[in-house]
Amino acid sequence: MPRFLGDDFMLPVLDPLNTPFYTTGSLQMQFCRACDAAQHPPDDVCFSCQSTDLEFRAVPGTGTIESFVVIHHPIHPALRDKVPFAVALVSVDGADGCNVMGNVLGAEVEDVAIGKKVDVRFEEVTNAQTGETLKIPQWALA
Amino acid sequence: MHGKAVVVGVGESEYYKRGGAPETEFQLACKAIRRAVEDAGLDLSEVDGLTTYMDQRNSPLRLAEALGLKELRWSMTPLAGGGNNSAAALMCADAAVSAGYARYVVAFRALAQGQFHRLGSGQGGGGDGARGMAWGRPYGLMTPAQECAMHTKRWMHDHGVSQDALGSIALACYANAQRNPRAVRYGRPLTREDYHASRWIVEPFHLFDCCQENDGAAALVVTTPERARDLRSTPVSILAAAQGMGPDIGARSFQGKWFPGTFYENVGKMLWDRAGAKPTDVDAVQMYENFTGPVLMALCEMGFCEPEEVEAFVGDGRLEGPDAALPFNTSGGNLAEAYIHGLEMVSEAVRQVRGDSTCQAPKVELSLAAGGPGYAPGSAVLFGRA
Repeated sequence: MPRFLGDDFMLPVLDPLNTPFYTTGSLQMQFCRACDAAQHPPDDVCFSCQSTDLEFRAVPGTGTIESFVVIHHPIHPALRDKVPFAVALVSVDGADGCNVMGNVLGAEVEDVAIGKKVDVRFEEVTNAQTGETLKIPQWALA
Repeated sequence: MHGKAVVVGVGESEYYKRGGAPETEFQLACKAIRRAVEDAGLDLSEVDGLTTYMDQRNSPLRLAEALGLKELRWSMTPLAGGGNNSAAALMCADAAVSAGYARYVVAFRALAQGQFHRLGSGQGGGGDGARGMAWGRPYGLMTPAQECAMHTKRWMHDHGVSQDALGSIALACYANAQRNPRAVRYGRPLTREDYHASRWIVEPFHLFDCCQENDGAAALVVTTPERARDLRSTPVSILAAAQGMGPDIGARSFQGKWFPGTFYENVGKMLWDRAGAKPTDVDAVQMYENFTGPVLMALCEMGFCEPEEVEAFVGDGRLEGPDAALPFNTSGGNLAEAYIHGLEMVSEAVRQVRGDSTCQAPKVELSLAAGGPGYAPGSAVLFGRA
């Protein structure tokens, strides 16, 4: 599916900590093997117990809108014909306390609301410069 | 009370719209520092300490040479973030002179957003903020305005806070700026109708919920009370200062107990504890407005009121003018005086104690300046009479 803000828009720069999130086509969150805490953004150390024994696990891909903003001022030239659009903060089911961001696909901005349930979608795109295939999580109203 | 160090001078360049300064950022920095030192009645060459925050362009070494300092004995800056450390710069200066590492420390901040890039442009800085922000960028969430809007939207939802409450912050700043000839928005009054009619930047922020972008510089001189006796200016005590964030995870990007929040709860607790004071004792408040929403949140986190009371606390002109229920952002603040990364508001807090504000509150014993809300660590400084 073409990307919501344009295929080339601000493609994530892959590193070991974000590659599972952006490339697997399932919603991958970081968990601590020692204490089972989930955390986002992923990091080198467990922020609950300082263990370095961390792993990524797929979670169901459902969540709840905790907050959102409607962007009107196009801070980047590529967004001039995209505004207004919403960015939502979604609490992820199965990863307690973790919030991730995303756009809400297929919804008018008026329909985005705090408390609404959402399902993950993935935008598949190839980074022309690196050749990497990305599957970027997005959300749709459930 | 702490009260070991005192502010003996404040100074600033002229303030301009972004791109409007006829001088370079370094020239603006030098001018503000010279004026602050002149205000103190000190010889410029006696300055031996320099501090700032998030300023990688006006190096203390370059300044020390350009200003003709006899020697530089101390130079440090608070870590992490940006305008959140505007009050922490005074905390650093206090620590340096109180410990005897330097005699006369200048805290300064210079910004020429015309000469250099725009601070809120989404080009990002470094460190924790940029690491958190990277996760929003593919979705178009790229700027501090958008990040602070995310916090504000949820907080308004949780506590039933209206758009009008955000507008009251903007109106207070603009009303007070009309008394201040330094203010870039002097002669440009704002009505509630203007506020609501202004374009959206990012809901729930209208244009007038967002701070200006300016060119200019501000500086303060800090020394000991003993040395201040030999200077002509009226010293103002740094009664207490605080910088920090509570010990919990999730500060980096809308996680855990920090969402929604502005990192001022433990800053407030430390400040009131160190000063032996409480919010109702404060006679004038300068609270850094990056955006209006986080100001409301920080007022609540610092204990001025509960979120459910904030609408009434800021409404009906209760923050406007010298005789306000709470004299607030009396120079016009970042919104209407100038956005010198908030340091100009620390200077205004000093002026309120000296009695030479253009919107002077009566009988100021305690004067608060709080740094930028929504970015960690937060900072605040409480001034009083020496």
